[in-house]
Amino acid sequence: MHRLREAQRDFSGYVLQESNQIPVGIKANGTTPEQRLSIYRNNTQLGLTEVLRDVYPVVNKLVGEAFFNQLASAYINLHPLQSACLLEFGEQFSEMITGILAAQSLAYLPDVAKLEWRWHEAYHESDMPAMDLSALAQLDPADSNRIGFKLHPSTRFLVSNYPIAQIWACNQPDYPADTLINLNQGGCQLLIYRAESEVKIVSLEPADYQCLTALAFGTTFTKAVEQVMVNHPDFEVQACLQHWLLKGLLTDFFII
Amino acid sequence: MAHPYQTQLLCGHAPIPACAGVGLRSHHHRDAFNSHAKAGWLEVHSENYFGKGGAPLRYLESIRADYPISLHGVGMSVGSVDELDYKHLRKLKDLIVRIEPGLVSEHLSWSSFGGHYLNDLAPLPYTDETLAHLVARINEVQEFLNRQLLIENPSSYLEYDYSTYMESSFLNELARRSGCGILLDINNVYVSCANHGWNPLDYIQDIDAERVAEIHLAGHSVNTVAGRNILIDTHNGPVSEPVWELYRFALQRLGRVPTLIEWDADLPVWQVLIGEADKADAYLEKCYAQAA
Repeated sequence: MHRLREAQRDFSGYVLQESNQIPVGIKANGTTPEQRLSIYRNNTQLGLTEVLRDVYPVVNKLVGEAFFNQLASAYINLHPLQSACLLEFGEQFSEMITGILAAQSLAYLPDVAKLEWRWHEAYHESDMPAMDLSALAQLDPADSNRIGFKLHPSTRFLVSNYPIAQIWACNQPDYPADTLINLNQGGCQLLIYRAESEVKIVSLEPADYQCLTALAFGTTFTKAVEQVMVNHPDFEVQACLQHWLLKGLLTDFFII
Repeated sequence: MAHPYQTQLLCGHAPIPACAGVGLRSHHHRDAFNSHAKAGWLEVHSENYFGKGGAPLRYLESIRADYPISLHGVGMSVGSVDELDYKHLRKLKDLIVRIEPGLVSEHLSWSSFGGHYLNDLAPLPYTDETLAHLVARINEVQEFLNRQLLIENPSSYLEYDYSTYMESSFLNELARRSGCGILLDINNVYVSCANHGWNPLDYIQDIDAERVAEIHLAGHSVNTVAGRNILIDTHNGPVSEPVWELYRFALQRLGRVPTLIEWDADLPVWQVLIGEADKADAYLEKCYAQAA
């Protein structure tokens, strides 16, 4: 399989701009082999750029199409596509933006990209029905201190020093008008999840954030509440629990 | 010896009827459900439904009650010298079990080397070496999926001077040896023939009509490279007149074959897409009337 292997090695090397070795035996047919190969090079570049633009529409809107194309090009070189499943392409985009000097004037940009990636992940994550509350009601009271909760598989968290949830919302296609956002208003602690079809981005109060991240980590409910109470003695435990049960975020429980 | 996949054909939840269908993109999800204008069947890109759950899969599961569905893959890289990606095949198999498609298809191409993917359909040299490789790969895939694959002729922008088969004969031979079916993309025939100076009528004449289980139609663009026109398979507009002409010619040979309208970029409103399908249906009817 030497010849086929060599053809594919040189073809992919050229198209992915890893080498300039032209595969042998390409018919010029009125042009040059380079010109014919460059059609494929171009297809790969344009195709993957559009994949990234689909996942990162807000970043695209914030930096503009031309600069986004440059970011995409840098990303494609740095992180070649490693699977035919395009849903997995683009995970390190935020990390790469952080390192790009020209993007550093938009300090919130990497966090916006992180939010868009978590949204994308949540959108395609597994389905899981909300918890069966009758099973919870039958719980032996003696076990109540040992109960922990499983969160919906789509659950993601994100902390930022910038109001990225607001930036995200204002840059959605159906957002009514331009809004000025005060970047110094402080950061946010976000929950991203999808209980039904729609992905939700929720700004959490510090106490809720601490409680839910502890639960996601596998901490028992009692322990999580104890930790929250240290800094937030007025934390409304019942209200928090009820709210997230109803919203489908808590999908199961376990006894440790 | 009869190949196992020659007798085990087209057994999905709903077989694909011999009329026109459309390629469904998420942009038209609502229309496919709500519009009075219906296509005869729908085809989706398998990889778009490789997520674990959520809205896309839920949608596909509900739309299959209204339409026969065909799964068309673009990423199996069946012609690659890399190992077959069983993670990919597993996802495809799970989707097949979930959706029970009438047809499952892939391309006569490769798209990965050393684990890096091109996100494009790259051309193969048509040699005995390639043929043996592809026959083994397609057998492996069909065995794993436990069903027949259709293999589609690609649009190509270059060819290798050491190819020893015409593309049409190569496809015929591949189908004969592996038991796969042929998905004949008439636009791709037109595009590749124009780019390489092949004769599209000879191509269609040469194709093994018995093996063709589906036809694709799409729009292409014309690019000028070094003063020479190169056609690019862009799927961004209506089917061009010469491609319709070639389609009519193909129908005379192939008879009524399920025909798909593909339109993937610069998407029109749903009614325009259905209009293209109606046009294909009219030609299919005519072909039927002539045959009767």
